[in-house]
Amino acid sequence: MLNASDKTLLKTVADLEGLPKGAYNIRKNGKLLSRQVTANINIESNADGSGIVVTIKPGTKNESVHIPVILSEAGLFDVVYNSFIIGEDADVTIIAGCGIHCGSKEQEGHAGIHEFRVGKKAKVTYVEKHYATGRGTGRRILNPTTKVFLEQGAKAEMELTQISGVDEANRLNEAELGPESLLLITERVLTDGEQKAVSTNNIVLQGEDCRANMISRSVMKGNSRQIFYATLTARNKCFGHIECDAIIMDNGSNETMPSLKAEHPDAELTHEASIGKIANDQLMKLMSLGLTYDQSVNRIIQGFLK
Amino acid sequence: MLELKDLYFTVTDHESVKQRNIIDGVNFTFKKGLFYAITGPNGSGKTTLAKLIMGINEVSQGQIIFEGNDISKLTITERAKRGIAYSFQQPARFKGITFRDLLTIATGEEDEKKLLNIVSRVGICPLSFLDKEVDAKLSGGEIKKIELATTIAANPRLAIYDEPDTGIDLWTINPMVKLLKKELIEHLTTTIVVSHNRAFLEAADVIIIIDKGRFVYEGDLPKALHLLTDLSACTYRRPPEGEENAQCFR
Repeated sequence: MLNASDKTLLKTVADLEGLPKGAYNIRKNGKLLSRQVTANINIESNADGSGIVVTIKPGTKNESVHIPVILSEAGLFDVVYNSFIIGEDADVTIIAGCGIHCGSKEQEGHAGIHEFRVGKKAKVTYVEKHYATGRGTGRRILNPTTKVFLEQGAKAEMELTQISGVDEANRLNEAELGPESLLLITERVLTDGEQKAVSTNNIVLQGEDCRANMISRSVMKGNSRQIFYATLTARNKCFGHIECDAIIMDNGSNETMPSLKAEHPDAELTHEASIGKIANDQLMKLMSLGLTYDQSVNRIIQGFLK
Repeated sequence: MLELKDLYFTVTDHESVKQRNIIDGVNFTFKKGLFYAITGPNGSGKTTLAKLIMGINEVSQGQIIFEGNDISKLTITERAKRGIAYSFQQPARFKGITFRDLLTIATGEEDEKKLLNIVSRVGICPLSFLDKEVDAKLSGGEIKKIELATTIAANPRLAIYDEPDTGIDLWTINPMVKLLKKELIEHLTTTIVVSHNRAFLEAADVIIIIDKGRFVYEGDLPKALHLLTDLSACTYRRPPEGEENAQCFR
């Protein structure tokens, strides 16, 4: 059952007050805690028991799937392989998230490998939040991987957020876009203290007239460090854009490497990248409206990571 | 209501390492509920002066007295809380902050109806602006309208507008002038506008012409006209160094 700490983690990573409506699969300390399927959404454990397969019937509209993971067992490193098969013309929201509660000296971690196969003209919104807490000194490690395959006219909107408390994160996002498909990724990462986060993104624009937009927002507090790699490879007439902004606070550091590869003459690829402190004119404006310096900083960061 | 006493803003020139007064000993008293237009050639110190009053620039020497209290050493936040508001010439662009957010910060109001009331009262921005992000996608005119609206929404006792008409279309300038006048009449808002635009100069009770960091004219528009049409004469007739008492009027 869910204890108080589990409930707090669920609230933070999946915005859940209790058990969700619709389909869900809650995993705690490497084991299934609770599952529900619906007429249109099936969830079953995969053949080797290492994860789940979520199958969404073609044409399913306005349904959601919650698949949160919570960890509170010292020394556990939970690896899970989840597949999502989204039928043609479906429109669904998948809410994933991992919350770690670390109460000991031993490290805890989770690696979620999520593979999405989005059928023709289907649309998926994927929301993933990572958060760690607890008084323990053990390192909290999260290494998520997402692989997305978009068929003709499919659309995927992915919101990937690392809120706080994660000591080490190594994220990999891979995508292959079919004709006329659309991929929107927004990644927001806040690190503090001695934390480190690396994000590697490889997006292949394979089909004609496909589009990809990758937005990354990073905030480094304390001595934390973030490294961001993003590569768009265009193999057809397509459009791709990378926008990566990083705000450095305190003594944080950042490396940002957007890269564009055009393997087709009609490819249109652009990127914009910036690293810096909070802009002075933003601070001045909010202070002139009555906020203090610290309140202004918080408000700007809050908006930036919204 | 606002008194500038022997006010100086001094910078050190990087090349010559010499000190230069951008604001060069200004003495002036702004009266409550009047409309002031500050004009003058580019680089004469208009924006610097406006920023000194808001606390964005730090006073090098002299005092700023606001409603009887010396505010020269107060932060921007403290001055804002005392009732001074400032419209930037080039407003900040944010990421993830909407017009609604700025209005809420300026007024402390989150209620949808009340925010819509504020937007209608200001009039200059359509209601649909409320959830617009104040980011790089806004046009120059749109962001200036939002800037003006947040200034008015703060209900200041002293409102400073630095070139509010930059990027604003011709059809909006006169309504903008009327709006500032209306706010002044209804709330007795002392209004200072830095502008070259005739519409603002004509609306003003007092014209101040600033040149090389000094006030060279304070008075009504008719008497200022010859200076405004031929300010070069004023600069040309600048008194030689040492003759501090000499005036620059033609």
